[in-house]
Amino acid sequence: MRILLNDIYQRRELLYNLIVRNLKIRYKNSILGFFWSLLGPIFLIAIYSIFLGFLKIPLPLSVLVTGIITWQFLAMCLGDAQYAIIGNANLITKTSFPRIILPLAMVNANLINFLLSFIVLLIYLCIAGVSFGAILWLPAVMITHYVLCIGVSLIVACSNVYFRDTEHIMSVITLAWFFVSPVIYPVEFILDKLPGNLHPLVFCNPMVGIISSYRVLLLSSNNPGAYNLAVSCIVAWVILFVGIGIFQKFQPGFGDEL
Amino acid sequence: MTEQKAIVVEKVSKKFRLRASGSRSLKSILINCLRAQERKKQEFWALKDINFTVDKGETLGIIGANGAGKSTLLALLTGTKVPTDGTIHTSGTLSSLLELGAGFHPELTGRENIFLCGAVMGLSRSKMENRFKAIVEFAGIEEFIDQPVKHYSSGMYVRLGFAIAVEVDPDILLIDEVLAVGDANFQRKCIAKMREFRDKKKTMLIISHDLKTIQSVSDRILLLDEGKIIGIGDPESIVETYESLSRKRDSQGIAREWGTGEAKITNAEFFDNNGKITDKFEWGKTLEAKISYLASRKIENPVFGFAISDKDGRLIYGNNTQIENFNITNIEGQGSVLLRINGLAMATGTYLFSFSVHSYDHKVNYHRLDNKFPIAVESSKQFEGICHMPCTWSLK
Repeated sequence: MRILLNDIYQRRELLYNLIVRNLKIRYKNSILGFFWSLLGPIFLIAIYSIFLGFLKIPLPLSVLVTGIITWQFLAMCLGDAQYAIIGNANLITKTSFPRIILPLAMVNANLINFLLSFIVLLIYLCIAGVSFGAILWLPAVMITHYVLCIGVSLIVACSNVYFRDTEHIMSVITLAWFFVSPVIYPVEFILDKLPGNLHPLVFCNPMVGIISSYRVLLLSSNNPGAYNLAVSCIVAWVILFVGIGIFQKFQPGFGDEL
Repeated sequence: MTEQKAIVVEKVSKKFRLRASGSRSLKSILINCLRAQERKKQEFWALKDINFTVDKGETLGIIGANGAGKSTLLALLTGTKVPTDGTIHTSGTLSSLLELGAGFHPELTGRENIFLCGAVMGLSRSKMENRFKAIVEFAGIEEFIDQPVKHYSSGMYVRLGFAIAVEVDPDILLIDEVLAVGDANFQRKCIAKMREFRDKKKTMLIISHDLKTIQSVSDRILLLDEGKIIGIGDPESIVETYESLSRKRDSQGIAREWGTGEAKITNAEFFDNNGKITDKFEWGKTLEAKISYLASRKIENPVFGFAISDKDGRLIYGNNTQIENFNITNIEGQGSVLLRINGLAMATGTYLFSFSVHSYDHKVNYHRLDNKFPIAVESSKQFEGICHMPCTWSLK
């Protein structure tokens, strides 16, 4: 583990270059370029604010967009992770460097996008006049969120090298994960329907803890119990280590498979 | 001792699994689980028990037919593939040209790609900045450096790739078939750069099908065939071994064999005028062939014959012991006959020898080996056609 961290540190210039490459390519040939990172969430909030009124959905706009913007970070990672390795086949088969840098660069590029969206979200929440909660805890939630994204990305990236079915399976899993996570509904929606002793089970989906924590901190929603948030946090870290383990075990074979 | 060695390869083998479809899917995995014994058949050893070392400052050429395992070997040295068995040690930084411009992203500009490639090869940004000018200059793409590389011509692409790899200035440089691309001018530049590299006492491994060039730049040559090392050593003799090996391969397609088998031609060896065994001859020099036979019973008055064809199988010349009034009373068991050709008359090229043994009345063909034994002829004399006829000119 320490060797791996050291390897990544040694090749930090490569990591940095690949993050920049990922971001540059995303906005290449578009006139507004990087501004889309900001425009995307602005339009998202604007459109929901219009249609939420029409559809009479009984959910405050601030709760909904907090859910969607935070969910998007994971969704983007799940989508991009499939191609983090196979999309760089020429680098894998022709050059040698710690392979883990490729998915890391992908997650970090998405993190930068997420942080920009998050700034837009914070500005909107200020304008909307919500009362923030214990906002100093935000970094802890974000780190958990980031850890989870890396963990699942490593597993998805690695598995798509060996089974191309991953792409199809992932579109199903992503959709299901979206609905079992409290993105378009508050977490109380499920918790109220289940007896208390099953609540930790719900929080085994780390996105439940992460999204509700964002809402607790940003919108002063009810705290669904610190004990439950800890479950999500532990699961996220477990996924990270499992992800690293799987990735490192299978990465020597990438060159042969691609 | 390993301190002096740049590369030490010990007992390295590489196995590939052959699959019908390009990639694994859940379906094929399930099927494979059910048919475990079939999995063995799909294995393929690209390299088998490879051992060699390369000294620091040495240039090693690697030759071999397509599919001999050359590129797999370089991939193992680069680290993009992992050996199934054995170990590889390299000392110093290593840069590989497995494919020029491999790390390029088409949407990025030349400038961005230079820094990205530098980072892939492990160079810091400041080091790359120092070398930036030299790279652009060597590649000769000053005006296009801020264009996306997708708009580059293939020549510019390749030049930029080569420029980056050599300017990175590694201790060990691995080059795979780079000489095959680019125009004559660029190839000259590459070879000059490789010589410069050699003079700087850097280690190089080169794969090429251009035997002349590889022979001239290498200190030693390694010959691979079907994943095994056939020979390693002096460039000239290894290239010769390779040429004779590929001649044998080439002639396999049109070689034929038939006969009753009562007497068999077991082997034929060729000797030059110094009595050295070879299959490479000079025009006008002597060729001797020792034809070994095995007669399972006593055969009276056999006739031995030979024929020379060009590499497509067209007959050029044939002769036998009967025509030359050389009578053999009988043969039995093992033995050999000697054929001597004084002054090979053919032009430069590859030729195939056929040998036969038949009865005196031509009714029984004991054994015939057609187009089985290839030789090469080098001619310093320029003449038209395939065969030289002694002639003189005079004024009258």
